[in-house]
Amino acid sequence: MSRLEVRDLTVGYEGGPVLHAVDVEVPHGELLAIVGPSGCGKTTLLRTIAGLLRAQSGEIRIGQRMVTTHGIHLAPEKRRIGWVPQDAALFPHLTVAENVAFGMLAGRGSARAARRAAKSDEVRRLLDLVDLAPLAHRAPGQLSGGQAQRVALARALAAGPELVLLDEPFGALDPMLRADLRAAVRELLRAEGVTGILVTHDQAEALSVADRVAVMRGGEVLQLGTPEEVYRTPATPWVAGFVGDAVFLPGVLHGDEVATAIGRLRAVPVADAAGLVPEDGADVTVLVRPEELRVVRADAASVADATAAHRADADRRADDGALDGIVTDVEYTGHDAMLALALADGVRLRARVTASGVVPRGTDVRVSVDGSVLAYRPEA
Amino acid sequence: MTDRVATPSPRRPWGLIAASLVAVALAAIPVIHLVVRVLSADPAELAAVFDRPRIPLLVGNSVLLAASVTLTAVALGVPSAFLLARARLRWRGAWAVLAALPLAMPSYLAAYGWLAWQPSMKGFWAAWLVLSFVSVPYVTLPVAAALRIGSTGLDDVARTLGRGPFGSFMLGTWPQIRPAVLAGALLVCLYTLSDFGGVALFRFPVLTTAIQQAYSASFSRDEAAVLAVLLVALALLVVIGEQVARGRAARRIQAAPATGRRRMTRLGPWTVPGLALLALVPAVAVVVPVAVLLGRVLTAETLQAFDGVNLAQAIGNTVLLSAGGAVVAVALALPIGVLAARHRGRMVRGIESAGYLALGLPGIVVGLSLVFFSLSVVPALYQTALVLAFGYGILFMPKAIGSIRSATGQVPTSLEDVSRTLGNSRARTWWAVTARLARPGIFAAALLAAVSAMKELPATLMLRPTGTDTLAVELWQRTDISAYGAAAPYAVALLLVAAVPAFLLSDARAGREATREAIAPDARAGREATREAIA
Amino acid sequence: MRARRGILLAGAGLAAATLALTGCTAPEDDAETLTVYVGRDESLVGPLIEQFEQETGITVEARYAATPELTALLLEEGDRTPAEVFLSQDAGALGALADADLVTEIPSDLADLIPDGFTSTDDSWIGVTGRARVIAYDGEQLTEDEVPDTVDDLTGEEWSGQVAFAPGNASFQSFITALRVLEGEDAAAAWVEGMAANDPELTENNLASLDLVNTGQAQLGLINHYYWFRQAAEVGADNMRAQLKFLPGDPGGIVNVTGAAILNGAADDDAARAFVEFLVSEEAQQYFVEETFEYPLLPGVDAPDGLPAIDTLVNPGLDLSDLDSVGESQQLLADNGLI
Repeated sequence: MSRLEVRDLTVGYEGGPVLHAVDVEVPHGELLAIVGPSGCGKTTLLRTIAGLLRAQSGEIRIGQRMVTTHGIHLAPEKRRIGWVPQDAALFPHLTVAENVAFGMLAGRGSARAARRAAKSDEVRRLLDLVDLAPLAHRAPGQLSGGQAQRVALARALAAGPELVLLDEPFGALDPMLRADLRAAVRELLRAEGVTGILVTHDQAEALSVADRVAVMRGGEVLQLGTPEEVYRTPATPWVAGFVGDAVFLPGVLHGDEVATAIGRLRAVPVADAAGLVPEDGADVTVLVRPEELRVVRADAASVADATAAHRADADRRADDGALDGIVTDVEYTGHDAMLALALADGVRLRARVTASGVVPRGTDVRVSVDGSVLAYRPEA
Repeated sequence: MTDRVATPSPRRPWGLIAASLVAVALAAIPVIHLVVRVLSADPAELAAVFDRPRIPLLVGNSVLLAASVTLTAVALGVPSAFLLARARLRWRGAWAVLAALPLAMPSYLAAYGWLAWQPSMKGFWAAWLVLSFVSVPYVTLPVAAALRIGSTGLDDVARTLGRGPFGSFMLGTWPQIRPAVLAGALLVCLYTLSDFGGVALFRFPVLTTAIQQAYSASFSRDEAAVLAVLLVALALLVVIGEQVARGRAARRIQAAPATGRRRMTRLGPWTVPGLALLALVPAVAVVVPVAVLLGRVLTAETLQAFDGVNLAQAIGNTVLLSAGGAVVAVALALPIGVLAARHRGRMVRGIESAGYLALGLPGIVVGLSLVFFSLSVVPALYQTALVLAFGYGILFMPKAIGSIRSATGQVPTSLEDVSRTLGNSRARTWWAVTARLARPGIFAAALLAAVSAMKELPATLMLRPTGTDTLAVELWQRTDISAYGAAAPYAVALLLVAAVPAFLLSDARAGREATREAIAPDARAGREATREAIA
Repeated sequence: MRARRGILLAGAGLAAATLALTGCTAPEDDAETLTVYVGRDESLVGPLIEQFEQETGITVEARYAATPELTALLLEEGDRTPAEVFLSQDAGALGALADADLVTEIPSDLADLIPDGFTSTDDSWIGVTGRARVIAYDGEQLTEDEVPDTVDDLTGEEWSGQVAFAPGNASFQSFITALRVLEGEDAAAAWVEGMAANDPELTENNLASLDLVNTGQAQLGLINHYYWFRQAAEVGADNMRAQLKFLPGDPGGIVNVTGAAILNGAADDDAARAFVEFLVSEEAQQYFVEETFEYPLLPGVDAPDGLPAIDTLVNPGLDLSDLDSVGESQQLLADNGLI
């Protein structure tokens, strides 16, 4: 049974809808990441689920309870959710412990009540959980950004919510802290058995932390699936480009192959949102992930390819459709490297290779594709 | 920050709008009363009023005085605020109190004191001098508050881009304090338009003195109403002008960081001019007139037997009535201030503007309208403290709006969101979070209304319970018969009583805290972040 | 923060307390209480009222404010006014209330006490004291002889920039009316025009005009006589730089009156009648003479020392009831940009 169900949700105002017919489902105990560029409606969706915004139409169900349906709107204070905003939003007049305690007051929030409740064991337990017990008596102004977010999370959990909503909680933190905190949040939600929704504009964060990812654009959910599904079989070229590095090539579909500038590739046609599958002989857009490109020095003295797993069958397909090119640039990131390639006929590609397989700039190489590629109907 | 542009506004806050409309309707009583009177008057008589050769002069003088006093108050108030909030200053608390002190000075008392010393003072320059210096705190206080929470980050960027200190200030800090400057300027401008005591004593003919003449010589309330409507029209222009300017400032300030570092400026060679400025304002507005009046006590032959009981009663009445007025003013201003802070749109702007209009009217006009209103609606309460406190509330509600609006605006809405999701209703959230955090601003609003009510005279004379004298009434009774000696104790008492809210408004403590905070929290947070990153 | 909260709560509590207290002590309307609006200074009238209270046992609720404010207030209140008697600083205000039908007739046995010419012709109000228009002059620069005997001379070149007066003041406007009545509309118009062109010092009230003369900023001031006497009492007669010149027979030297009226609601009120009767009693008239230096209107009471007899100031050609055309006088002043 899913914990959250959003069906056909439309939200908007005079200027037109901001969300159109959005469907989202989150199974119990899972963490869903909603990812998309600025203005895609992801925060609007989160705020509507929280009840901070009103929907025009559609339904939202949290657990067994319908909280939004047919214009009926359950106030946010009655939805039993936890809310962790981007700026942590700790109450500046309360200490860390009192902030957490404020979450347990069940509708009778006041500074005095929070002061009293701050001494309870439950507050201590929650502070231990987020590893902040020593800072219980600090004022929010004395916390770092990461600490503040952990307090905000503890406060959200204090009310015993069915659902925790996190609105870009890591947005203002530096990268090292982000990774740590991300992991901590996921662990915490799992440990508490709480369903969570995380809004972020960072696709790497979404893929790494979430059980499932919803990709939004222009007020619509383009794809909802596991991180691997979203990355491996993106619903549209745009999704592909948004969730990871992508090389797009024009091509023509011929049966289970597609003809492209880098030769004929094995292709899987993908249906678009309307369910239309590219027909035989149609123009298509081909998606190649940079790590799916195999790059071999032209002198063939040594072989550099995407993954060690591919090395075994490298020879078998060495002269199967490979093209000549030259390495025009190298972006070295430590664990791997991105090569910018220019093919003989002017097509430019990017290929990811393992760190050990880096080829210096200016090297002549041969390029081929591993496995099959996805073929999309070209976007209008 | 994502989606901010496309985020639909939440449901229209009908409860808040309804409360605001009630407050505005009450605040509009004087204006409605005037309009009804003008509409029901003989048109020929009204036309005759406009035909007078003196009318353009009166309007011109009102505009000239309001504009010059406002500009002067801004020109003196902004640097004063900068010195108080951003400069390394010895005895900052004392300077802050001195800067707020002119609030306690009624314009008529300041003018009276100056005249007692320099009887030849008259006309525009005299009125300009006294009104400007008396109203400087209306600019200094909000601007100093804005400077205390603003950051100097952009100034620093501007400096690195080759701008001078002044250019950097204009580029970096000015946009952050502009709304506060505008709010202060609005109060100064409306106050100057509506002032009667100061201009009358210096014989500078403006619309308010003409209104008074209409009442006193021809006993023509219609004529007075026409002149007062002109005044309302001027006030409306001022209010709209401020809103337009504020709207522009608000759009611009989006880019400026709300929090960040504040750099305290070392004054160096500017110490002496800076301190001179801080000393000049209270000296002109308070010290000179009070010293002169006290001097008169010693020379006057009519220093009547000093009636301590009477004075104590007057003090008690003044404190109680002004406190009641402040409570009413804040109650009326709260919905409007909160609405203006949290919501936009034409209706909200209209409500806010209407809330300010009565401030442009002289007390006698407001007083008479309340006489009519209370006799019509609650005759049993006529000339009781209840109606007088209510009258103070209506008179000085506009002074409370700005402070409440900016205090509410500074409470992040995300705190309200969190409170709602934690199970607290809209009302409880407002009380436990928004009002709790905006409390200093709400308190300041009450103080501002209270200090104004203490000095109020014309409406008090009409609405007070018979036999209940406030300090302002006692003072008026004695200055009117040129009994300087007898007036002095009441003048001093009024000043001292009104100095209490002025002292609290000066926020001398906040000034000291600001200094500490400017250095401390960032550093501490920085250390924590480092420690966390290492661990 | 905690201290502030305390103050805030205390303030609210105090406010609530006042409202509660004064709500209970609203004036009760029984026969032994009389509500009087007093358009004159409390320090002058207060002792007189105390005397009245002691003699009659009637409690007087006196509301003090300036006459113009109280007149505006009474007009606004209309018949709902709590006031029973209005003691006014000038006749014009009383006339305005009579025109609005807000006052009741003074019993004729009282009205007849005051000689014609110093009270209303229709008994709508009663005259209480008289006040003469005078010229105050700078005693350091001028001798009494150098001061004109008539206001007609004030439009002359030699007084340019030297004459102070309060064009909005009711007494001054009464004088303009007298000028129109006595010398004709054309002559009055010529005088006002001449004064307006003669660079006058315009003030808000008589006292301000007197101050200008006292400080040497104006050589002459057109004022009511008693302002000088009051200031002399404050600073000592010897210290007065300004001196007074009376103008017998001249429109600039007419006598205005202060008076009292009974409001409609108190038509049959014995206390109201008793108060008015007290005002024109010998005792009260004597008090005005001693404390306010005004002319008593009750025959048989002597004028203050040093004042010319009131009879010498009265212009035989002028009836005070002719002075009700104040509107035209104001129009004249307005046309010349003086108000």
